[in-house]
This record gives sequence, structure tokens and C-alpha cells, in this order.
Amino acid sequence: MLRPVKMSRVVVAGSKDVIAPVVEKLHELHLLHIVNYNGNQPSFEMGKPIGKAREYSENLIKLRSVTRYLDIKNKAPEKVYPESQVLSEMDNLLNNVGADITATYERITAIDAEVKSKQDQIKVLKPLAVLPLPLEAYYGYDSLATFVGTVATPVDADVAKVSPTNEIYSGSAKNATVVAVFVPIDKAGEVSSVLSEHGFAEMSVPKLEGSVDSAIATLEGSIKSLEGEKAPLQKKLADMKKQYEDLMLATDEYLSMQTQKTEAPLRFAETDNAFVIDGWVPSDQFSRLKGELESTAGGKVDVQLIDDKEADGLVEQGEDIPTKIDNPSLVKPYELITRLFAIPEYKEFDPSLLIFVFFPIMFGMILGDIGYGIMTFLVVLLLKKKFRTEGWQQLTNIVLIASVWAIIFGIFFGEIFGPLGLWGRIMGHLPEAQIELLKEEGLYFGEGVFGSLGRLGPLGIFPMDRLATNAVLLLIGTSIFIGVIHCSVGSILGIKTELNYGEKKHAYFERLPVMLFQIFFSIALLGLVMGQMMMVYLGGLIVVVSIVMMVMGPEGPMGLAHVPFYVSNLISYLRLLAIGLASVGLAFAANQLAFYVIMPMLSGGATNSAEFSIPAIIIGILVLTVVHFINMLLGILSPFMHPLRLHYVEMFTKFYSAHGGGVEYSPFGHVRRFLKA
Amino acid sequence: MAVVADAGVLYGLLAVGAGLATGLAGIGAGVGEQGIGAAVVGVVAEEPGFLGKGLFLMLLPETLIIFGLAVSLILMFAWTPFSAIVTP
Repeated sequence: MLRPVKMSRVVVAGSKDVIAPVVEKLHELHLLHIVNYNGNQPSFEMGKPIGKAREYSENLIKLRSVTRYLDIKNKAPEKVYPESQVLSEMDNLLNNVGADITATYERITAIDAEVKSKQDQIKVLKPLAVLPLPLEAYYGYDSLATFVGTVATPVDADVAKVSPTNEIYSGSAKNATVVAVFVPIDKAGEVSSVLSEHGFAEMSVPKLEGSVDSAIATLEGSIKSLEGEKAPLQKKLADMKKQYEDLMLATDEYLSMQTQKTEAPLRFAETDNAFVIDGWVPSDQFSRLKGELESTAGGKVDVQLIDDKEADGLVEQGEDIPTKIDNPSLVKPYELITRLFAIPEYKEFDPSLLIFVFFPIMFGMILGDIGYGIMTFLVVLLLKKKFRTEGWQQLTNIVLIASVWAIIFGIFFGEIFGPLGLWGRIMGHLPEAQIELLKEEGLYFGEGVFGSLGRLGPLGIFPMDRLATNAVLLLIGTSIFIGVIHCSVGSILGIKTELNYGEKKHAYFERLPVMLFQIFFSIALLGLVMGQMMMVYLGGLIVVVSIVMMVMGPEGPMGLAHVPFYVSNLISYLRLLAIGLASVGLAFAANQLAFYVIMPMLSGGATNSAEFSIPAIIIGILVLTVVHFINMLLGILSPFMHPLRLHYVEMFTKFYSAHGGGVEYSPFGHVRRFLKA
Repeated sequence: MAVVADAGVLYGLLAVGAGLATGLAGIGAGVGEQGIGAAVVGVVAEEPGFLGKGLFLMLLPETLIIFGLAVSLILMFAWTPFSAIVTP
């Protein structure tokens, strides 16, 4: 669990006669992580594709263009198909249905283009309506130059100066003056420069006939009929999508699998008569791989295990051992968090199990509210039902488990939508008179961890008030304590990782002193707080020893530069308390406002909750809903992101990726989703 | 020599100090996050898959506020020497 699965290096060698059945079997077994042949051996060359590789990839390209027209995306399968059905329907799907879809899609695109061009024409025609000319008057002259456009200032006089023979029409449209200037063609150049001085912007008049208004009406009519033609075509595409979506995805899967198989030999080494496949397989699966392959090929293939020493030699030459992380199903979602950071190297640790232990507790401690916990749980449950992709499922599972912890901590903190109000009503509350008495004694708010705010807990356990002084101090201690454990676990993994790589000096003089420093630094602090000077001296002594060890380590005196980082690592865990306090504060304020200000005020100064009038209660609940909703929105993201940061920055840096990211185990084969096995 | 001072004034000054510690740290973290946030928005526009990592990078400077808050908490709740100054 904490370590990746043990892998073994294997070589599969065989006669070329059996390459097709061997590839077929390997694909089905889904076990061998193939190491691509790099072409370095003089007696071997790279393999060539087998079978109908070309045909499969051509069909795949054809299919993908059709699926793009239908806007089909990968999704959770609703129906699985047997391979024989896919094969028998493929021809029809690719040729007849595909051609139909392509034609429909192209017609829709053509309609869109035509509508666009007609709309552009209308845009040009609209300002021309102010001129008294029919459209055919604007074009078709041999001896006249025509200028149609908008100008900033009147042009009549200036045009007349350069071309006494002229015909000018002008009219004012919405925010510009539209002019049509007709001059003899030999004056065109001069007139053009005169016009440009007046801010002339040309319009290209469409070659239509009749009056402008009737032309616009005709264009609008044809746009309408085009749109009318488009709607049923779109509906046809949508219907086809509904009908063929799963079949197309199944066909896509079938063709991808076939391409994968036929192109697999490109990764093998080949001679004229034989082929060799290098790869990694989980050690406990080797005998299965060997047995299955040899029985398939009838003795024409040899599967050899390479012993660890020789495999190490290959690793030193630059081959990566693939990492297969394997966790129980409860821990699996947390692999998402590991992956987001990096895939561990084969010799490193897979921290998913630790994230599973620490992350939900941290989330719970920050959110710590029964009401918010239940709300989060329900919302995430809905999301889980709605989004069925693998990533979403993992994410929602993480939050589901975490929100259960939020409910558990909510019981400790005595919070149902904040510390005031609902808890007292559901779980029990001291009588008002007794609270008044406590107030007079100065014990009501801000003092004491248990039983303040007058709340009673189940089974005689008094809930803790997170906003009270002693509770804050207690939670500071708890946060740092969790931090020390969290960082120490990270350091232990770091020491073991370095030992796995055989780097003893790094293990004992770089990783170990960090752990000693953090543990005993906090013990010394605790001693100071508790007034136990023995603890302070002991802690101080070992802190000094650990610093000396750091100086002796591989980095020398430069190692000391990291000391402030290790202290700030621990302080960073205070966020477990701090972020929680921020959202409790807001919830507290909301409840105070509703239960102790708005409701009494609107019911004419009643202090007892039984005397609140109905409108007061309705308005109070409205205020509560709004504020708590905002608080929830703000309050879900932080409890998720901050523990994530604590893992990535404070814990992972202690052991992770000192040697670079790993290569994930991806065996040759395919997980069938739309096809029956 | 015992310094005699008004306990209320001293407590008030402590509260002001605590407020300044968290507030100024918050401004600092905000200035830091401003640059990161702008960069993250740019990256996410190019490649939406970066959103998770981007959000996480946004949180890095928030440690500064935590430091400020730690100082505030110590001032408000755990600063015992102050009581020695107040008593004449």
C-alpha cells in the first residue's frame, strides 16, 4: 500500500509466425508495460505494423470526424455492445450514416454562411434607405464613377470644384450623413481625394434591384426561410446523436483497440524471423503471463525473467521502472491528490494512505460543524450522482469522507450552523436565569473551554466553544501536535526513501535531524508553556544536537539555512485552527444577529424564544439562510485547499521527489468500456 | 521599579497590536497573491487543467497571515508578562 507494487523485468522472444496471436494475448492480459525498442542494437531493427493497420486508422479518422460533427464526447457508457455487433454495423455507420451526417452538417454550415452574408447586406442597405435611388442605379455604368458611403461634413461644394459635372444625393441616417456621388470616370481620382478629406467611408452596395426597402424585405424573408430549413436539420443531427452516440463510442473503442494491436510491433525489436519484446510486469503476475503466452504460441515463444541485478543495470542505463500504485478501494480516491503532485518513483513511497488518514481529519477540524457537514455531504452526494467521470467520482468520494469528519468534530465543538442557536434548541440549553448568573460571575463568554454559551451536550459531554480563550489555546496545541506527527511521518518516509536509494549520509544527516529538530523544538515549547523546565532543557539539548548533525550533513553549514523553514512548517499548522475560527466567527455573528437582535426587536422586545412573533421568525430565518449560505461557499473551499497545501508543502517536501517524478505503469492493453469482453 | 499603568489602556494597546499584526500580514499576503492570481488566471485561460495547481499556488502566501494571526493570538491570550507590569 505504502510502497508501489514490486515489478519484474521480462523479455518475450518468439518466432514471427506467432506475433499476431502473441500481441492479441498480451492485449487481452493487460499486464506487460512495454519498454519501447530504441533501435540501438545493430542486429535488430524496429518492427513493422501487422495486419490491416492502415484500414483501421483510416476508418478511425473517418469516424472521429463524424463524431465531431455530432459533438459526441467521451462519457459514461449506458449500453455495452458485443464486438460482433460493432463489426456488422461499422460499414453502415461509417459510410451511409456517416455520409448522411456529413451532408447534414455541411448544409447547416452553408446555411449559416448564407444567413451571415444576407445579414451583412441588410446592414449595408439600411442607411441607404435615406437616399431616393433604386438599387439598380448604383452600378453598371461605363462612363461614371460611383462613390457611396458616409461622410463627416457636406461634400457638395468641394466636389463641384473638381468636377463641375456631378450628381450628388445625400441624406442623414442615424448618426452619419450618407452620400451617393456620381462623377465622370476621368475625375474619379480627384473626387476620391476630395471625399477622403471629408472623412468618407465607403460602403459596398450589394448588386440587387428595386427599392431599398423591398430589397431588405426580400433578404429578411429568405433569412427566415433559411432558418426554417436549418431547424429540422439540427433536430435531425440531435436525433442521430441520441441514436448512434453509444454505438459510435463503441466503434471508436473497437478501432482504437485494433490500431493499438496492429501498431504494437513498432515498439518491438525484430529480425527477419523473430521478434523480441522488453517490458515490466508485476512480479506476482509473471508466472501467469509466462503460462498464458507460451500456451497461446504453442512453444514458439520464450518468456524470460531477468534477475534483479541485471535489471538494476538496465535502470542505470536510463530505463525507468514503472510505478504501479495499488491501494484498497477506500484509499483509491486519494490517489487523485498524489497524482496531482507527482507519480512517485518506483523506489519512493506512495503517500495516498497517509493522505487518507490525515486529510479528512484536517478537513473536519477546520469545518467542524454538524450543519455544514451534513449540507456538504448532501450537495456532494448530488454531484456524485450527476458527474460520473472518474475524476469527479474520486473528488466527491474524498469530500464525502471528509464531511463525515466535519460532523464528528461538529459534535466536539457543539456547532450546528454555528455555535449559537440551533445546538441549544436541539441538544439542550441552560435556563436563561442561570446564564445571567454565570455572566455576573464573568464565566459566560470568553472564559472556560466547556459549557460556556450555556450549551449542554449529549451524554454529559459539554461542547467546546471554539471562540473561548482556553479553547483557542487548546486548539493551538492540538494543531501543532498534529503538525509534529504529520511532519515526523513525512521525515520517517524520507529516511527510508534515502536508504532505498542507498544514500546513508542523506538519510541520517539530512532527513533525521529535521525530524529530531521539529519534535524536540515543540517539546521545548510545550515545556515553556507548562513551566516544566526539564522538558525545556532536554528539548533544547536535542535541538542543538540536531543542528550539529545538519552541519555535518551533505550540505554543510548551508544546511542551517533551512532551520527557519522547519520552524515555519510547524507554525503553518496553525491554519487548522485559524481558518476554522474565521468561519465560526461569521456563523456566530449571523446567529447573534438573528436570534438576539432581529427576532427580539421585531417581536417587540421579547427575550424568550417562545414569545417571538411569526414574521420575526420568518425574517430571522431569511437572514440566517443568506449569511450561512455565503459562509458555506467560502467555508468549503478553504478546508479543502489548506490541508492540501499542508500535505504538499509541509509533508511531501520531507520525502518526495528528491529524485524526480516516476513513470506510471501503463500495461499494453485496453480497459473495455463500451465493448463486451 | 514597578511601572504603574492603567490596565485598561494596556489591554487596549495589546488589542490594537494584535489587530495590526493580523491586518498588516493580511495586506502582505494579499500583495503576494495578487501576482500569483494574475499569472494563474493567464495559465488557466490557456490550459483549464491547471486550475487545481493554480488554486494551490494561490494559497502559498497565506502562510503569512497565519504568522500574523499566531502573533495576535499570543498577544491576546498567552501574554502573561503583561499582568506583572500592571500590578503596582
